[in-house]
Amino acid sequence: MAKKKLTKIGRYKILGELGRGAMGIVYEAEDPALDRIVALKTIILSDDAEGRKEFHKRFFLEAKAAGKLTHPHIITVYDFGEEDDLAYMAMELLKGIELRARMLKGPISTVEAVDIAEQVADGLGYAHERGVVHRDIKPSNIMLLPRGRVKIMDFGIARVRVADHKTSTGVVLGTPRYMSPEQVAGSPVDHRSDIFSLGIVLYEMLTRASLFAGADTPQILHNVVHVEHVPPSRLNREVPSMLDFVIARALKKDPAVRYQDTYELAADLRSCLAELGGRKRTEKDTDGDQDVTKTVKLDVDTEKTRLAPAARAIGSDTRLPLSRQFDSSAALRRLSAPTKRDRDLLARPPQSVGLLRRLRNDPGPRLLFIAVLAAALVGSAIAFG
Amino acid sequence: MKTANAGATLASVVFLKIQEFARRPVQEQARLKAQLEAVVAVTTAELAPASRIVLDAADGAAIVVLGDPKGALRLAERALAATAAGLPLCVGVNHGAVQLAPGGRDEDGMIGDGIAVAASVAEFASPSRLLMSRSFRDAMADASPGLESGVFPAGVFTDAGLRTHELFSPDGRVAERRRTRFLALSVTAVIGLVGAGVAARVSAEGHQKFVDGVVVKIRQTIAQGEKVLGDVIEIVRWQRRS
Repeated sequence: MAKKKLTKIGRYKILGELGRGAMGIVYEAEDPALDRIVALKTIILSDDAEGRKEFHKRFFLEAKAAGKLTHPHIITVYDFGEEDDLAYMAMELLKGIELRARMLKGPISTVEAVDIAEQVADGLGYAHERGVVHRDIKPSNIMLLPRGRVKIMDFGIARVRVADHKTSTGVVLGTPRYMSPEQVAGSPVDHRSDIFSLGIVLYEMLTRASLFAGADTPQILHNVVHVEHVPPSRLNREVPSMLDFVIARALKKDPAVRYQDTYELAADLRSCLAELGGRKRTEKDTDGDQDVTKTVKLDVDTEKTRLAPAARAIGSDTRLPLSRQFDSSAALRRLSAPTKRDRDLLARPPQSVGLLRRLRNDPGPRLLFIAVLAAALVGSAIAFG
Repeated sequence: MKTANAGATLASVVFLKIQEFARRPVQEQARLKAQLEAVVAVTTAELAPASRIVLDAADGAAIVVLGDPKGALRLAERALAATAAGLPLCVGVNHGAVQLAPGGRDEDGMIGDGIAVAASVAEFASPSRLLMSRSFRDAMADASPGLESGVFPAGVFTDAGLRTHELFSPDGRVAERRRTRFLALSVTAVIGLVGAGVAARVSAEGHQKFVDGVVVKIRQTIAQGEKVLGDVIEIVRWQRRS
């Protein structure tokens, strides 16, 4: 494909190249029938006849499913087809910036990040409702358009590509950093996998940290499956605690305890947005007021702070962080510098209670003892007195 | 407040776990967490600040109580009462080893088998129920003998690490029954021992002699009583006259 310059694919007239990916090239093209400029995504077909047949079947199935998705937050698929060794998909041409590029450009405000995630969740919810799973949600598949609009790209194609590689080589391809644990494990994947991936994207927008980064792919995949995230509010002080809960739920390793519905995630993100909006207005309203009391967040060493584990995951070497809502310093001082009395009290294992202690402190046996003693004395007096 | 030298100590750990926390909507999670914080604030207020450390868990909170198992039990029972106010809690209590997490910073929190077992016990607890480990029951008995009699065996449970835990659950009726039992035993003992004394005397002296002796004793006692009463009346009259 690279050897000869393409001028036409199907009925589309190639105007220029928009980008290149591992599976093909994206062109800017013109649809002469409708006099419309489109983005034409191409995929190079396999030379193997059997593989090609299988791909063909899946591609058309997925492209049809994607073509049915008409939503303000999903790129519109106009047409798809096959020509020579290329499969192609004509889509709406978006003039904007990829989220990936936007993230590289500079920090994204919390409000903007939540707004983007909410729009993506809304679009995904629509697709999931129709049985279409994206499977490759990542910043480069999210397009930011003018006036704050967001569109999800690559529906259908992502799935075909992944399935193709899985069946031919037994290896699941995708973007490891944004994969869900079930994708990594090669287990059946459903819409909850997209929720996990969107959770990662939101986390990275909020914190500018690469959540499951690793030196190589196996390390990244290991991190996806095993590493728990630091709550984003500990890395970015602007993040409200409710977002911690949202992200924690989206990033549950077990799909059964993750959000079960993408619309539910979208609704929660809207609530966060409302909370953030309120906060924003308050800041604006109080601008310039020197006497305003400001909330000061504690300075926490993020390197040392980890997410508190749930009861099920607590082992004897699992650290539970101190609650920041309660002052435990007095007891901590007692533990770190114990007095002699404390050393005796806190190091002594429970002793079995002897008879004398029992009689002295336990009212039941004490009553019985006194009654027996008194009755024995009276009985003796009667018998021998 | 260096933690480097701090070794393991034994403490009671009350683990308050919100039921099905992970499955709840996020807004509800935030509400329940705030409610739990309020419950912890109220219940820990009864303990001296130097006796309690509050730790965060994803689905609840753990309170480490130093040297006061009775206080830990009271805290657990009071926290459980909050279920009536719409906070769905399971409570697990254990007495075991805890220590400041190594690392030299207080923000690091705490680790230890005491916490892990309390969390496991809370996992076993059914909704709105309090379970305690045998070690906590023993610690309670050691601190306040007799208090352990208010719990009954709830069964033996095996956790995910195949470790078995013998668990107990408090029940006020068990303590009440025990009190009644001891009272009945005391009454029986009194009747038995006094009766035995009487029987011994009767068998030694014969029935008639014993009855006569008792009648004489009663008459003597009545006479003595009348004399004492007469003396008291005389004293009162004398005081009135003077």
